[in-house]
Amino acid sequence: MKKWYEEQSVDNDIVISSRIRLARNIKGFYFQERMNRESAIQLVNKVTGLTKDLELKENQKFYECSVNKLRDIDKASMVEYHIISPLLAEKEVETGLIVSQDESISVMVNEEDHLRIQAVASGMNMEKAFLDADRIDDFFSEKLGYVFNERYGYLTSCPTNVGTGLRASYMVFLPALNISGKIDKLAEEIGRYGAQIRGIYGEGTKGLGHIFQISNKTTLGRSEKEIIDNLEKIVDQAVLQERKRREFLLNMNGDEIEDKVYRSYGVLKYAKSINTIDALMMLSQLKLGMDEDLIKLKEPINIHKLMMEITPANLQKSLGKSIGRGERDRYRAEYINKKLPQL
Amino acid sequence: MLCDICGKKEAKIYYTEIINGKKKEQHLCSDCASKNSSFLNFPQGDGNDLSLGGMLFGLLDSIGKQQNEEEIPITKCKSCGLSYEEFLKLGKFGCEDCYSSFGKVLNKNFRSIHGADTHTGKKPKGYESEMNRIVNELSEEDKLTIQLQQAIEQEEYEEAARIRDRIRELKKV
Repeated sequence: MKKWYEEQSVDNDIVISSRIRLARNIKGFYFQERMNRESAIQLVNKVTGLTKDLELKENQKFYECSVNKLRDIDKASMVEYHIISPLLAEKEVETGLIVSQDESISVMVNEEDHLRIQAVASGMNMEKAFLDADRIDDFFSEKLGYVFNERYGYLTSCPTNVGTGLRASYMVFLPALNISGKIDKLAEEIGRYGAQIRGIYGEGTKGLGHIFQISNKTTLGRSEKEIIDNLEKIVDQAVLQERKRREFLLNMNGDEIEDKVYRSYGVLKYAKSINTIDALMMLSQLKLGMDEDLIKLKEPINIHKLMMEITPANLQKSLGKSIGRGERDRYRAEYINKKLPQL
Repeated sequence: MLCDICGKKEAKIYYTEIINGKKKEQHLCSDCASKNSSFLNFPQGDGNDLSLGGMLFGLLDSIGKQQNEEEIPITKCKSCGLSYEEFLKLGKFGCEDCYSSFGKVLNKNFRSIHGADTHTGKKPKGYESEMNRIVNELSEEDKLTIQLQQAIEQEEYEEAARIRDRIRELKKV
């Protein structure tokens, strides 16, 4: 079965994925801040005990596990693939996970809220992500009973998520805007319309790999549809600006950009050792070159998938053992050398 | 850039104040920001601890203080025992009842975070609102009486007459 990130879709040169997250809490349990160990275990068992029913309802295979019992490397790998959040990986109390075979649907138990339902679709397809999340939401709502209040909607542990509990986010590839230093301007503009943008590799990485996440800021007072429609318009604008900027840059510095793309390909194809940051940077340059037809490879390759595969934990998982940094950089180079098709 | 007040430390906070239409812009270090009267509730420190929880604390606490003058909020949640101070510090609630325990101060908090204080989105399937529940528990006669009232208010006199007849029938039985 194909994973969601292996599916092809519209506009996915710029919009890599569309993701929905719903925060939900279950009746009869204190929120995380006040929950004791016994209740945490009870809740994980209660939720993961529904996996078989969920499979029947969804007609696809789901896996379940206790996240806190996994090896650190497995947790780190799941974080790098965006299946679980860094917070869930760090927690020491009982935490659970249910995940669909294609990894497009996941339910985290005992993260900041009792349930965090996530659904992701490839490219610009928030509708599919929302329909999936909404269906899973109805299933757990019926089986477990949520904490809901007429005035404030779905009650959440943190007041920033109350109401719909919905966070919709698009993962976008914005090399031209980032190279031209336009991301701060974009952040200011979309901030006025209730959305936010940030780099996916966390604070201080300055949009490494030129990949950003655009998501809604508020969750109360607007319906799910209004939130998603609004965000879609914002992302459409960002895509338009990125395309315009690319056109401008290619007209002005086409030769220079082409040279960078080929240099990146050369290093990625033949280097003997490469660290994560350099690899991500060069892969993103190569992706830009491929998207703009500056470079043609003999076979198609999913660069975004490769970017996820070469992060430290995933690399070590595919090798089947933990290795030190130096050895890891050599293995990473070898891995990319092999994966990249010829010119 | 150095702080506009002390001129010694690096300015980490860019602050715009608009009072009665007059705009005042300042670049401040976190120490001066927390000392300055307008920043009474800004978390102290070197600025590295400006986590969301910390920001929220400043935001919510200042609203709480403004309200304190008018009404004293309940200090502890009646169910889980979380105090309002703890909530401000953590930026998180302890249980569903915290929402009703701290209810009075929350609406303003929510408006400052979300720009709204009322949910308009999805409801769990089969969710029955408080109002519907009360209506459903009424006797048939009481329900019809309410409908009669509504029909008269909307000047639907034929409908009103029909309801009135049904109430009469019920009374006979």
